[in-house]
Amino acid sequence: MPEDPGQPPVPPRPAPPPVSAHFVNNVLAAAASYIEEDPDLARDVLAELGQFLSYRLREDPADVSAAQELGHTATYLRLQQARFPERLEVRLPEAHELSGRVAPGAIQVPLAEALGARLRERPGSFRVTLRPAPGGLALELLDADGSAEHHKIALPEGAPA
Amino acid sequence: MTALTVLAVDDEPRALADVRRVLEGSPRVGRVETAAGGHEALVKLGEGSYDLLFLDVRMPGIEGIELARLLRRFDDPPEVVFLTGHAESAVEAFEVQALDFLVKPVTRERLDAALERAQAARARRGGAPAPAAKTAPEVVALDNPHGAGKRLVRLESIQHVDADGDYAQIHAADGDYTLRASLAHLEEDWGPAGFTRVHRAHLVNLGHALELRSLANGTAVLSLRDGTEIPVARRTVAALRKRLKA
Repeated sequence: MPEDPGQPPVPPRPAPPPVSAHFVNNVLAAAASYIEEDPDLARDVLAELGQFLSYRLREDPADVSAAQELGHTATYLRLQQARFPERLEVRLPEAHELSGRVAPGAIQVPLAEALGARLRERPGSFRVTLRPAPGGLALELLDADGSAEHHKIALPEGAPA
Repeated sequence: MTALTVLAVDDEPRALADVRRVLEGSPRVGRVETAAGGHEALVKLGEGSYDLLFLDVRMPGIEGIELARLLRRFDDPPEVVFLTGHAESAVEAFEVQALDFLVKPVTRERLDAALERAQAARARRGGAPAPAAKTAPEVVALDNPHGAGKRLVRLESIQHVDADGDYAQIHAADGDYTLRASLAHLEEDWGPAGFTRVHRAHLVNLGHALELRSLANGTAVLSLRDGTEIPVARRTVAALRKRLKA
């Protein structure tokens, strides 16, 4: 979606949607593919999937620190890179660049929606960049040919540094 | 036994690497090629001959279901097995007459069952692979009795089937379904999963059988775990007793 400076940012979700079985199944298939050629990577993918699921399936609805949610988002992106190692380059802000508290999934879920659409719609590699912006985070999906999609991830007051 | 020539199609490179590795380890498979999407698959299908396609459902460009529909226009299309992360796409897969539907990552045992079915299907169509033992489907798509569309019912959850004219009344763990099919046809398809005809009007999944009780007139009653009692015809009592070791 092209950036529209006049459009208000999307409000944060009160609760994240269920974890996608499609995502989990494909991450497991990717892990299985690494078992012989890179067993350590296969193990890391499974461990990170475990972390991802523990976070997303937590019963405690309390907000988490923005830095913690950023860490969860990084885990999610590493899992996507395990599925598509040649397609995704990732650039994330440092944890200290974010402050405040957010709902679990506040960053990862909207990022996953934008990323999933991009992966489904077009082949080819692209770079995912997340950076602090007024009112939240700016997400850029930059194709190898130079074309880019821009999204805004809205966060509560005080979340970005 | 002539081994299968397989084309695996998936836009997820690691999932494709995984299924390729498992396929290459199967004695039922002679050659495996891969394609990273529907367009590449169509090019390969135009250049070569394949017994079996493993197809992802969701891919950029030509999706798996769309590709399966296109294949039905071929003179001698390969068998199609969907291998996907989208379990909810199974109904669509059955509608395009896919041979099987597998969810990633697939176990070798489940994959082998699909390959066995593919070999049997090719043999029936006069293909080269030698006949293989018939296998039953793992799930069947049945009309939803509570609304539109189909419901996927695991074969193992079906307890018994009653004949009802041109229809079969199917009794499963999650409810009853009606299917336009004869018991003879269902017994042929589902027999490998333990279904057997015990009476002109009754087909039973022996996995749900609890007790066989003989009656004075030479017939018998087969009790199922849920308490249902099915009459057993006189001529099938001995064979059923032998099969159940009762």
